[in-house]
Amino acid sequence: MKLVTAVVKPFKLDEVKVAVKAAGVTGMTVTQARGFGHTGGHIEIYRGKEYEFDFVDKIRVECVCTDELVDAVIEAIVNAARTDTVGDGVAWVTDIEHVVRIRTNERGPAAL
Amino acid sequence: MLYAATNIPYPQWLNSGDNSWQMISATLVGLMSLPGLAVLYGGLVRKKWIVNTMLMVFTGFSLTLLVWMLWGYNMAFGELSHFGPTGSFWSGFIGHFKPLTSAGAVQGQAVSGANSLVPYHFPTATLAYFQFAFAAITPLLFLGGLVGRLKFKAWLLIVPLWITMVYCVNAALLWGGGFFSQKGAVDFAGGYVIHLSAGVAAFVGAAIVGPRRWQDRENAFPSNLMMVAIGAGILWMGWNGFNGGGPFYAGVDAASAVLNTNVAAACGVLTWLVMDMMFSRQKKATFLGALNGMLCGLVAITPSAGWVNGTGAILVGLISASIVWVAWNFLSKVRPFNKVDDAMGVIYTHGVAGLVGGLLVGILADPGMVTYGVSGSNYKGEGSFRVAGWFYGHSFHQLWEQFLAALWIIGYTAVGTTVVFTLVKWLVSGLRESDEDLRDGDIAIHEEEAFPEPTFGEPVSSPSHLHPDNV
Repeated sequence: MKLVTAVVKPFKLDEVKVAVKAAGVTGMTVTQARGFGHTGGHIEIYRGKEYEFDFVDKIRVECVCTDELVDAVIEAIVNAARTDTVGDGVAWVTDIEHVVRIRTNERGPAAL
Repeated sequence: MLYAATNIPYPQWLNSGDNSWQMISATLVGLMSLPGLAVLYGGLVRKKWIVNTMLMVFTGFSLTLLVWMLWGYNMAFGELSHFGPTGSFWSGFIGHFKPLTSAGAVQGQAVSGANSLVPYHFPTATLAYFQFAFAAITPLLFLGGLVGRLKFKAWLLIVPLWITMVYCVNAALLWGGGFFSQKGAVDFAGGYVIHLSAGVAAFVGAAIVGPRRWQDRENAFPSNLMMVAIGAGILWMGWNGFNGGGPFYAGVDAASAVLNTNVAAACGVLTWLVMDMMFSRQKKATFLGALNGMLCGLVAITPSAGWVNGTGAILVGLISASIVWVAWNFLSKVRPFNKVDDAMGVIYTHGVAGLVGGLLVGILADPGMVTYGVSGSNYKGEGSFRVAGWFYGHSFHQLWEQFLAALWIIGYTAVGTTVVFTLVKWLVSGLRESDEDLRDGDIAIHEEEAFPEPTFGEPVSSPSHLHPDNV
């Protein structure tokens, strides 16, 4: 099983959710996050003074899926989150050793 | 003779309309401090300074009221002490150091050197509370220059000393029938006594206390602009009491003052916005910029609110916001202004705006605007009280008097503030919190924070018997 993590633009979350669901993923966790990539930060002005905000608002999306589904999920996220401008974010895949559904104590793919 | 007592609600000299308006005005001015300045400052400082800043606002207000009752009111507005021959400076310098606590004093008809033309139609309690609300907001205004490093204990001493040594003297001289009011200088509702003085005190105080940590200056972004909106809105509407209470009668001039105040504020907002959009580096309209403009208009109309006409009010807003915008953006880059960390720029929005407004009285005051009329066929006739600026009186006399009074306010406040801060520095050994406390802010100084979230979820196991709520 794999953990797919993606850091995307906040206004793209809904599209990502719909696309990932359509790809067959059963669950997803999102976190409000801040970060920088190639774009760097941005400027805000308060009382005439400029402040550099290094970290830009992002949403971190995490979902666990079976090995067969990974490519479809990545494809779905990439298509949904892309705006073709800098700061579209990144996604990565990590191996998962073990998954347990807490209520039923089911293990492995059945837990998803 | 048998007593056939008929109860009446108040003495003959009292007018319920005047008394009501004066008490409402006083409350509106009080609201500008609590919660107005508390949430305005709380929203403007960083999250870690919110509690400390708000507590200073509430304690400052309380301290001033105590001082006011025990000696402040009588020093500023009671009978003058006459330390010198009549008409001399020392004769009109300060009142008596005595409390305002007896039933007779509080419930008697208000008398003050500020107005010897028409008797007041409300009791001393009303006047004392009204004037207290003005006194209280002054240290809270200069607090804006000192937040984020001033030692809390020092603040508790600075307020009573500053009110006594600086505010009471300035108020007696300009409002209490003292020297400058005898000379003819006027200050409708506190452009000099409150705002110019607060601006100077903030600047001098900030110079003595020293700057915030460089990390805090670099990260001085505001914690909550919605709270700033609430505070600023309360300030604007509260100003209806600030200036509307200035004439001390619920009459024509109170109404003009309220209208003028709002006109100047609106013009200030728009002027600053346009300047920001056209001349600032980023060419952006900003909310906090608009509020600076609002403050400029409000502060600058304060010394002239009931003495200028509608055109005058528009000009006051326009001129003050333009000048303060230039000062804010350019004066702040040169010595000594770039060497002093006046955290909220009080020297500009209150100091410069108060000075500009006070001088504009000498130019724009329209003698057609009457504060106190005369009985008979001609209300505005000979003997009525009004002020004539250069535009209408074709004389620089009023401007000159305004200029002299401004020099006094600036000079005396600077010296007085230096004395008070130096004294307190010695009394509490240092005016700054320790470096570690400055790094951690509210939690270190008060063991409180603005948005506490001490634990996630529910406590575990059994109730702790150490917790005071678990008996």
